[in-house]
Amino acid sequence: MDGLHIGKGGLIAVLGNNGSGKSTFLNVMSGLLEFTGGYRVNGRPFREMAQAESARLMGFLPQEAALNMPFDAFYVVLTGRFIHSDGRMYSRADIARTENVMKRFDVFHLRDRLFNALSGGEKQRVLLARVMNMDTDIFLLDEPFSGIDILHQIKIVDVFRRIRSEKIIMVVIHDLSFAIHHFDRFLLFRDGRLLYDMKRDDLSPEMLSEVFGVRVGFAEQDNRMFVYTEEM
Amino acid sequence: MRIILPAALVLAFIAAVSAGAVKIDFFSMSEMERNILFDVRLPRVVLAGLVGAALALSGVLFQYVMKNPLADSFTTGVSASSAMGAVIAIMLGLMPYIPLFALAGGIAGLYLVYRIASYRGRIQPITMLLAGIVLSTFASATISFMKFLSDDAVSSIIFWLMGGFQAATPLKDLILFAVICFSFLSVRGDYLKLDILCFDDTTASSTGVDVNRLRKKLFFAAALLTAFSVGYAGIIGFVGLIIPHILRLGNLVKASYLLPASLTGGAAFMMATDLVARTILQGGQELPVGVITSSIGGVFFLYLLIKRRKELFYFN
Repeated sequence: MDGLHIGKGGLIAVLGNNGSGKSTFLNVMSGLLEFTGGYRVNGRPFREMAQAESARLMGFLPQEAALNMPFDAFYVVLTGRFIHSDGRMYSRADIARTENVMKRFDVFHLRDRLFNALSGGEKQRVLLARVMNMDTDIFLLDEPFSGIDILHQIKIVDVFRRIRSEKIIMVVIHDLSFAIHHFDRFLLFRDGRLLYDMKRDDLSPEMLSEVFGVRVGFAEQDNRMFVYTEEM
Repeated sequence: MRIILPAALVLAFIAAVSAGAVKIDFFSMSEMERNILFDVRLPRVVLAGLVGAALALSGVLFQYVMKNPLADSFTTGVSASSAMGAVIAIMLGLMPYIPLFALAGGIAGLYLVYRIASYRGRIQPITMLLAGIVLSTFASATISFMKFLSDDAVSSIIFWLMGGFQAATPLKDLILFAVICFSFLSVRGDYLKLDILCFDDTTASSTGVDVNRLRKKLFFAAALLTAFSVGYAGIIGFVGLIIPHILRLGNLVKASYLLPASLTGGAAFMMATDLVARTILQGGQELPVGVITSSIGGVFFLYLLIKRRKELFYFN
C-alpha cells in the first residue's frame, strides 16, 4: 500500500473478509505490531515516536478487550484521559469530559455499574466512549459496532459524523449497507493487501464483488442506496 | 476503609507492644522490663509489621505484573527459592548469613523465572506463573533433600521454614524499612498506569502505558520485598494473597487506594497474628506465626470467597 495518504475529514470504512488484513492494518498504524517500511503522522516518521506520544495522536479500539479488576464503567471511561493527565491523578476537567463523553455515547446511566457485569453490547459502548475520551486526532476502531444494537449504532455514527471534519476516523465494519450509507471513503482489503481506496461515489458492485468473493448488487430506493449480496 | 486501616494499625501496634510472655508495667518499668521492651519486644513487633507490609505490597505488585489475583511471592517462586538459599546457609552452618543467602536465592530464582518468561523483551504473565510454580516445586524438593541429607540441621531448618520474628533486631528493622520505602516510592507515581495495566495489553499500550517497562519495574520491586522478608522472617504464607484480596473485596480496587492500604493492612494483620502466636500458649511458649496466618487467614479467606462469590466472579 504505497502512497496511501489519509487526511482529516470524512469517515473511513475499512472493509474486507476475515483475515484480509484490516486488523493488521490498524494494529500497524497504531504501532502495536512490528512492521517493515514506514509511515508518517503529521509529517513525522511514526517509528521515532514513543508510546505516550503516539497515544496522544491515536486512539485505538481493539477488537477484544479484557479487564481484570472490578472497576466501574465510569472509571473505565476515565482511564482514556490518561495521556492528558499528569500521570498521577485525573483532573476535574478529565472527569467533566468523561461525563460528557458518556452522555454522548449514551452510557452515562451505566456509570456506577461494574464494567465486567455489563452486557456485551454495553461493554462495547463503554469501551468506545473510553477511546473517544482520549480526544485524539486519529481514531482507529476495530469493529466498534460489533454487538451493538441498531439504535445505538445510529447514535454512534451520528457522533462520528458530527466530529468527522476535524478528525481522522477509521472504522473496521462488516455491514455494507450501513457503511455505504454513513461513510465517505472506503479502504478495501483482500488477501492482506489494500485492493481499492475509493470515495463513496466511485464504488461499484464489481469492485465489492471482487473484494468479498460474493455477488454484490446495488439497489436504490427512496434516495437511499442498499446493498444486496448473494453467492457467486 | 480510610480510617479503619490506620486505626487497625495503631490498635494492633499498641496491643502487640503491651502484651507478651512477660508482663510489663509501663508506668514504672524495671531495668529488665525496659530491656525486654526495647531490645526484644519492640524490634519484634516492628519487624512483624514491616514483613507484613512488605509481603502484602509484594503480593499486590505481583498480581499487577501477572494480571492474576492468584499471584504472590509463592506462585512466582521467589519465596521458595529464597528459602532454598536460607536452608543452604543453615546446612553449611552459616547462621548469621541466612538473610544474605535468602536474598541471593530469591534473586537467582527471580532471574531464572524472569528469563524463562521473557520473550523478545516482553514478560509473558502465564509463562511466568508456570515457571514460578515449577521453580517452587523444585526448590521445595531441594529443601526436602537437604533435610534428608543432614540429620543435625533438620530441626533448625524446620524451625526456620516455619517462619517467625524471634530474631528481630533494630538493624533488620531499619534495613527492611528502607527496602519498603524504596520499593513503594518507586511505584508510587504509577498509580494510574497500574490501573490501566488491568486492561489487556493492547488496550493498555494504546492508552499510552509502556506495559513492558512497567512490568519489569513492578517485578523487581516485588521480588526485592519478598527476598528481604523471607531472609529476615522465613516463609510466612498467604499474606501477599489474602491481604490484597480482602482489601479489593472492601472495594479498594484502584491502585491509589490499594497500594497504601496493603502496607497498613499487611502490617496490622501481621502484628496481630504475631501477637496471637506468642501469647496463645501458656508459659512463654510460641506457635510459629505461619501457622496462625495460614489458619486464621485461610479460614477467613474461605469465608470471603464463599460470601463474596459474586464480586470475585466479576474480577475477570
